[in-house]
Amino acid sequence: MNWKKTFAIIRREYVERVRTKAFWVATLLIPILFLGYVAIQISISRKTGGERTLVVIDTTDKLYAPLVKELADTEARQKKDGGDSRGPHWTLEQRKVEGGLDATKATLQKQVLDKKINGYLILEPQLLGKEQVEYYSTTVSDFIALNQLQSAINRIWMRQKMTARGLPSDLSAELEKSIDLKAFKVTEKGAAEEKGAGIIAAIVLLILMYSTFFMYGYQVMRGVIEEKSNRIVEIIVASVRPVELMAGKIIGIGLVGLTQYFVWSLVAMNLSLPAFAGLMSSGQMGMPKIPVSMLGYFILFFILGYFLYASVYTMIAAPFNTDQEAQQLAMIPMIMIVGGIAIYPAVMNNPTGGVALFFSIFPFTASLIMFLRTALSEPPGWQVALSIVSLISTTFLLSWLAGRIYRVGILMYGKKPTIPEIIRWVRYSPGKAVQPPVKQAS
Amino acid sequence: MENAIELTNVSKSFGKFRAVDNVSLAVPKGSMFGLLGPNGAGKTTTIRMIMNITAPDSGDIRILGQPMDRKMQNRIGYLPEERGLYRKMKVIDHLYFLAAIKEVGREAAKARIADWLDKMELRPWLNKKVDELSKGMQQKIQFIATIVHDPDILILDEPFSGLDPINVALMRDYFLEFRSRGKTIVFCTHVLEQAEKLCDEITLMARSKKILEGSIREIRHRFSQDLLRISMDASLEEVRILPGVATAKALDGTFVVGLNPGTDRREFLKRTLEKYRIDAFSQKEPELEEIYIDAVKSAGIEDRTIE
Repeated sequence: MNWKKTFAIIRREYVERVRTKAFWVATLLIPILFLGYVAIQISISRKTGGERTLVVIDTTDKLYAPLVKELADTEARQKKDGGDSRGPHWTLEQRKVEGGLDATKATLQKQVLDKKINGYLILEPQLLGKEQVEYYSTTVSDFIALNQLQSAINRIWMRQKMTARGLPSDLSAELEKSIDLKAFKVTEKGAAEEKGAGIIAAIVLLILMYSTFFMYGYQVMRGVIEEKSNRIVEIIVASVRPVELMAGKIIGIGLVGLTQYFVWSLVAMNLSLPAFAGLMSSGQMGMPKIPVSMLGYFILFFILGYFLYASVYTMIAAPFNTDQEAQQLAMIPMIMIVGGIAIYPAVMNNPTGGVALFFSIFPFTASLIMFLRTALSEPPGWQVALSIVSLISTTFLLSWLAGRIYRVGILMYGKKPTIPEIIRWVRYSPGKAVQPPVKQAS
Repeated sequence: MENAIELTNVSKSFGKFRAVDNVSLAVPKGSMFGLLGPNGAGKTTTIRMIMNITAPDSGDIRILGQPMDRKMQNRIGYLPEERGLYRKMKVIDHLYFLAAIKEVGREAAKARIADWLDKMELRPWLNKKVDELSKGMQQKIQFIATIVHDPDILILDEPFSGLDPINVALMRDYFLEFRSRGKTIVFCTHVLEQAEKLCDEITLMARSKKILEGSIREIRHRFSQDLLRISMDASLEEVRILPGVATAKALDGTFVVGLNPGTDRREFLKRTLEKYRIDAFSQKEPELEEIYIDAVKSAGIEDRTIE
């Protein structure tokens, strides 16, 4: 390797990419979109609810009054807690059944459609016997509101059953209290309370890693094909060995990825600015604190995984002249990367199980899954080491293969080579950079 | 004279296909050397081996008396037939980049690039993207890139393809100037007319083999022995049946007559004068093209791409 020349390649790949508007738009837009999304989420959850007018048909006549009280209590409690998952302000109105239940329902249906009321609730003994009540509304997807309604009715129903059996009311209040399960993550440094924010951060980083494998792997592929379709590659290999060109390209594009991460983490640091932290801490998930170790593993496994996939993408690109031709084979790394993300729920459920172990060693999923495992639990050192060794050795093997296909493929113009032909390129003896005859110019 | 490039019994196969078959050639230092041949003759493969892009299966290649290595690569400027540029790069950055991969630093490259951009009247385009340049301008940029490291040897594969006549003339002047500074140029083409005007020596390749070599004058001489150009009052048919005539064809109101080997020229003229009036006659210098076609044909190749 001539590092002076390789450096010139790295420099070009890096500078030309970082200079583009597209790079900065993507780099700045993604966090802005993300922050915007979070901000919208928060502001929506703060305001959730609003007014909700509900007609209640209570044929038992025993549930309406407690329900009004229960919902008012819930609202008061939430206001005191200042929590974010606030339900709506309920305005209830009791309606008598006039001319049969179905006729009443029809009248109410019309009122709902006319937006005079938001919905109606049917509480009648027959339904309650089946342990169900009916709620009719134009929207039935506002889970916070529905949850509130359901738990209020449940509490009332339970209390009434208990009173009916003769239990004292203070006992029923006692029974309503539930136990909070606090989770602590045990690490070698001791135990720390885990509120889920760390796990969310890990998943966000996992998705980031997953999408950057795609993004930058694809860029490597495009870069290789571009050089061929531009017909510049022969000018370059007259000065630089193919392996240097390949290495320079992969390293250069990898550095672009790290730059993007760097900018993103600058933005993330600004998240801890008081104003935003305030906004976030009132948010649902709280401020995700990303431990340094998690960040370290993230960078490590990103680099390892990137090199692996970049070699695969180089190998795929080298024989072809257009993106379209390479598209078919580009499915292979895509499926592998998607595979890594597809099994992550299984790994979440059991980060130390057999499935997790296997896929954190299997080179094509190792970077994603081992990163997730290090974030969730503390896998034994030998497993982490084995995963790294597996990644590095596979990368070496693949880049060796990629190099052999590359040096032949980049000088191949004209017809699309077949897979057996590509295999033959790999088998050409070393030291003899071989390429098939150039297609005759007409 | 020392040779700039020397190939000894070089062969190269791709699978069963023999692209270059036992070719030897010597390019004298300071010469303008033509590597000629129809498409698919093995010229590009030969050049790629000289450039160390491809390694030969057998045989020896020496550049300036030494085996080819990475350092030597920096002393050659190569303009491949398949050439292009990064379309989104600025002209100046592109030239710096191509200099850098020849291990020429920015400072060293700066003056030379500025000089050439001035010469080619491309300075206003310095900060434009390659995309915005016309094809002719892009070819000029490629040429600057080929010589930005001030190479001792220049290898040009079909350098004039796609250029308009004005730029062809311009380029030719640059090549001649380059040679006048003692540099060697290998000029690779299938268009004979260009080689004829530029080259001191040529090697003709066809079907992976070398089939002819020498200086242009020498080759002409070798092939002109029995070729006469005659202006006379006869029809082509009458000329054809004259004794001693092997071939005859009409050309610009005259006849180009090839004599049978062993036919005495004086004898032939004397006999012809008895029957016809001869206005003028001269020894015909054969067009290189004719030699080329003859040689390629006798090597067993029909080539329809000759222009």
